[in-house]
Amino acid sequence: MTGAGFETLKALIVEDNAHMRTLLRALLNSIGIKEIAEAGNGQSGLILLRERKSDLVLSDLAMKPMDGLEFTRRVRTDEQSPNPFVPIIMITGHTEKYRVEAARDAGVTEFLAKPITAHNLFSRIAEIVERPRAFVRCDNYFGPDRRRHQLDDYAGPWRRKDDFQQEVDVR
Amino acid sequence: MKTTTGKQPQIIAPDAYPQMMSKPNATRAGKTLRSTQTVEKAQAAIEAQVPALRAAILGYVEDLEKAQNDMTLVFERAHEIRGMAETAGLVTTGRIADILCRYMDDMERIKRPVDPTLVALNVSAIGRAARAEDGDAAMGDVVATELAALVARRLSDAGQG
Repeated sequence: MTGAGFETLKALIVEDNAHMRTLLRALLNSIGIKEIAEAGNGQSGLILLRERKSDLVLSDLAMKPMDGLEFTRRVRTDEQSPNPFVPIIMITGHTEKYRVEAARDAGVTEFLAKPITAHNLFSRIAEIVERPRAFVRCDNYFGPDRRRHQLDDYAGPWRRKDDFQQEVDVR
Repeated sequence: MKTTTGKQPQIIAPDAYPQMMSKPNATRAGKTLRSTQTVEKAQAAIEAQVPALRAAILGYVEDLEKAQNDMTLVFERAHEIRGMAETAGLVTTGRIADILCRYMDDMERIKRPVDPTLVALNVSAIGRAARAEDGDAAMGDVVATELAALVARRLSDAGQG
C-alpha cells in the first residue's frame, strides 16, 4: 500500500484486550502504517503519547485504571499534552446512546462500534484525512466541532441563538 | 453557544492546526482507504486472526460459565465476547452476549438487580452458540431472538424500555 502517504504515519493503539490490539495492528499494517505503539490503558497511553509522536490514536472506551474517556479528555486539555489535536477514534462495544454522547463530549474525533471491519475502520480514517473538522475551545470543552453536518450553502436559521463565526489561527 | 464566563468559544479551522497528512496525500489516501483492493487485503489480515480470536472467546466463555453470581465478571467477559465474536465469525454468540450486556447495563442504570436466572440462561446460550458447529447456527438465531424478547419483557416489567 505504498504511495498513499501512510508509510510515514505513527499510530497509537490504547486497548486493554491484547487480541484486539493485534487485530487493530494488523489492519493498520495492511494500509502501510508500520510504526505503531500499544498501550493497555489510558494512563500508559498518555505516557506513550508524550514519549513519541503519534498521528492517529485508536482507543478503547472501558479500561482500568484510566478509561478512554478520561484519556481523551487529558489528551485534549492537559497543559502537557503533546498534541491536543491528534485524531482519536474510539472503538468500543459500548454502543448505548449515552456512552456515544459521553465519547463525543470527551473530544473523540470518530466513534466506531464493534465488531470491527476493515471497511468501517478505514471509512473513519478516510473521514479524518479528507474532511478534517474544526476544533472548538470553550470553558467546558475542547475538541472537534460536535456539529458535524454543515452544509456549504446553509444560510440559516442558525441553530443557536448566539451562533457565531470566529476563527482563531493557533499557529 | 453560552459559556460559564460568557466568553465566546473559539473555532480553530482545520488549516490552523496540524493534520495527519497534506491535502494532496489526503485525497490519495481517501481513495486508497475506500478501494475494494485495500479492504479485501485488510479483511484477509482479519481472517488470519480468526483462529486466535475464537480460542480467546472460548476462554472468555469458560470464565463466564465459572463466574456464576459475580455479575461484574459476567458483564466484563460478556462485553469482551460481544466485541470480538462477530469478527471471529461467531455472529450468534456476539448477538446473545450483546443482549446480556444491554440487559445488565439497563438494569444498572435504573438501579435494579438483575435476574440471575435470566443471566444464567444467556450465559448458557452464549456457551452453546460459541461451541456450536455451523449446522447449529439457525437454532442459535432462534434462541437469540427468544432471549431478546424475554429480556425486553423483563426490562419492560422493571420500568425500562
